[in-house]
Amino acid sequence: MSNSTLTRKQALAFAAPAFIAILPFFVACLYILRFSLSGEQGRIEGFSIDAYRNLMTPFFGRSVWLTLRLAFFATVIALMMAVPLAFLLTTLKRPVARRTLTVIILLPMILNLLVQAYGWILLLGPSGALNTVLRNLGIIDRPLFLLFNETGVLLGLIQTSLPLAVFPIVSAVRAISQEHLEAASSLGASNWRIFRDVTLPLLRPALLGAASICFAFNASAFAVPLLLGGRRVQMMGVAIRDMISPLFNWSGAAAAGMILIVMTLFLMIFSAWLVRLTTEKTKG
Amino acid sequence: MRVGLLPAQGGSYRWVMLTLATMGILISALPVAVVTLMSFSAAETSGFPPSEFSLRWYGEVARMFSNEDASSAQSVVDSTLTSLLVAVIVMMISTVVCVPLAYALARGERRIRAGMELLFTLPLVFPLVMLGIAFLLIAEGLAWELGIWRIIIPHIALVLPFVLRNCLSAMGGISVELEEAAISLGAPPLRAIWDIVVPLMKAGILAGLIFALIISFNEFTITFFMYTIDVSTLPIWMYSRTVSSLDPSTLALSVYIIAADVILILLVDKLIAGRANLF
Repeated sequence: MSNSTLTRKQALAFAAPAFIAILPFFVACLYILRFSLSGEQGRIEGFSIDAYRNLMTPFFGRSVWLTLRLAFFATVIALMMAVPLAFLLTTLKRPVARRTLTVIILLPMILNLLVQAYGWILLLGPSGALNTVLRNLGIIDRPLFLLFNETGVLLGLIQTSLPLAVFPIVSAVRAISQEHLEAASSLGASNWRIFRDVTLPLLRPALLGAASICFAFNASAFAVPLLLGGRRVQMMGVAIRDMISPLFNWSGAAAAGMILIVMTLFLMIFSAWLVRLTTEKTKG
Repeated sequence: MRVGLLPAQGGSYRWVMLTLATMGILISALPVAVVTLMSFSAAETSGFPPSEFSLRWYGEVARMFSNEDASSAQSVVDSTLTSLLVAVIVMMISTVVCVPLAYALARGERRIRAGMELLFTLPLVFPLVMLGIAFLLIAEGLAWELGIWRIIIPHIALVLPFVLRNCLSAMGGISVELEEAAISLGAPPLRAIWDIVVPLMKAGILAGLIFALIISFNEFTITFFMYTIDVSTLPIWMYSRTVSSLDPSTLALSVYIIAADVILILLVDKLIAGRANLF
């Protein structure tokens, strides 16, 4: 504690207000755990694992599988676009161009999700922009149904999770030293070769971190499947809501939520472990 | 010139990279662009492309805000005011608690700092649906009259990671010597913090404030579970209005929100220009 100027007591006093502010969050986490173990569906009473056992249905299994599948594809596609975007962001010299690109990428994460859903509906709907353009070009006769199915949800997930992938990668790209790339280039390596053998390995920790955050974000998405999937795309977020809203199965919803949380946490811990493994390997 | 990242001449590599980047830009920007374009349409329906352009839907929005329609259960004016009030309170509280925490973490033991940072990042990765349900269950179970605090309390948990990160990166550049100089000149430690450290943190604090404001104002998922007939926010109002069909005046309203968000993001970007990452 060489550079520490605070005693432990002082540090605690400074941190106390923030703890009070975040306390409801932790209470909420514990409450959900307790409710999922309740013996009754509507209130906390006794202990049982019935809520979990009742989830072992083909319907919920399909929902879990759909969630994992959509989150996985959205994450992979978002990462594939995030790497070049990060290169572009770090390469752009003019502040105006850099700032515009930052806003374009960041906006989807922050902007009211409804506004974005309106955008997708106007773009992909039966009389939307894409269908009109394709029909006028004579490519299709009947409108393509891209909305209220998995395609629409996938696009929405990619859009909202893209900033979560781009910005961690940007900071990693900034940290790549120019010498590495110049050395590889002067030794005659092609662009693809440099990308595969120099850039990607250096970016690996950031890529894994970005992937796990993206995946967790996508797996727990609620507004996107609700607004773009209609009733038909029952990702876990929407399935959990349906347990509460028409069915009043509170303990079931809590149990499903616990499964979702454990899934995402497990994945994030796994990827943190992978990051440590790979960084140790590159160092040694 | 950055060799290897995006070389000026590079055949297939450059082509693939730029294509992917363009796709990313399109997927990010097209929905917002289409909403903006259609809001200027003169037609009643949202058919594409608009045959004529007008500002009639913007006039419609102005009318919605000026004629208080008593018959509607929850007016747009009420929800907008609630949204703003919630966002401002969330912004104030989260910043007031995060500045001292950031100070304590930056000056405290390094080992504790890592754990604390992780702890305060948890709300970011926690499924929002679950937060919404958990807070709803608690609010129902307690049966307290919470008023707008039923939305404010979850929002604070949600914005803390962003505010803390901005405050921490602002603390990063402030050396202990400055405070020690003030203290050795006779200033009490708290005075040194208030007069030396806080002004130096100003840019980071402001960036955190704005972030909290934007996130709370645009939040949909948690509010979707927590709202009541009396306490509802603008995103919820928009949802209930457009759940069956898309009304062009909502698009005009969306454009106002987009414009406000863009301005605020640019402000944050300027405040922390190059010195830190957005999150």
